[in-house]
Amino acid sequence: MASIKLKGNTSGEITIDVPAVAGANTLTLPATTGNVVTDSATQTLTNKTLTTPNIDSAEFATVSGTAPLYAARAWVNFNGQGTVAIRQSGNVSSITDNGTGDYTVNFTTAMADADYTPIVLNAPGYGVSLPTVALANLNNSTFTEVTPTTSAFRVSIRTSGNAAYDAKYMYVAIFR
Amino acid sequence: MDKRIVYKNDEGGISIIVPADCGLTIEEIAAKDVPASKTYHIVDVADIPTDRTFRNAWEWQ
Repeated sequence: MASIKLKGNTSGEITIDVPAVAGANTLTLPATTGNVVTDSATQTLTNKTLTTPNIDSAEFATVSGTAPLYAARAWVNFNGQGTVAIRQSGNVSSITDNGTGDYTVNFTTAMADADYTPIVLNAPGYGVSLPTVALANLNNSTFTEVTPTTSAFRVSIRTSGNAAYDAKYMYVAIFR
Repeated sequence: MDKRIVYKNDEGGISIIVPADCGLTIEEIAAKDVPASKTYHIVDVADIPTDRTFRNAWEWQ
């Protein structure tokens, strides 16, 4: 195995080894001043973009413990009253207003399967006397189940009096 | 986005798609989110009533 050894002005030295396998590989050094990242020690990367990284077990600096952490795959905050409108969203291409208190959330990029978990909160707009509940996978007009798909899921809002209701604040997050 | 996509749903009413700011055009969102075989129309948001009292009775004319 060939190698290049660089000796410093002091006793330190660094050795670059060529792997003992066939093939011609190229190692291109960056055209800027900086340090090469290795896997041998903890190092800090600042303002680096990792494109589709494979993170085996994410541990954020502000999180204790080593339990795996799963980020939301999609989310949306929208107004279901008056002019129905999306306030903000991520990986949501649109919502569909199907009728009173009946919405479909459509994903920009589809989920791997339909076994995701939607978390839905609603706030009716306070001053409303009836509490409301968000019911996943429900057609509010026919009161029948709508099977979630990889590209969309349906959610309906009903009051404690079992009437369809437009929520002022709808919060949806999808985990998978 | 100041546009909406309207189509007649299976219950005989109309569904209204509200586009997100997701980098897709209104036509791309329509192609993706309108159920297959449904005829749709792209309208201005100002054309959609804001009084939803009888929302389930809305029809496309």
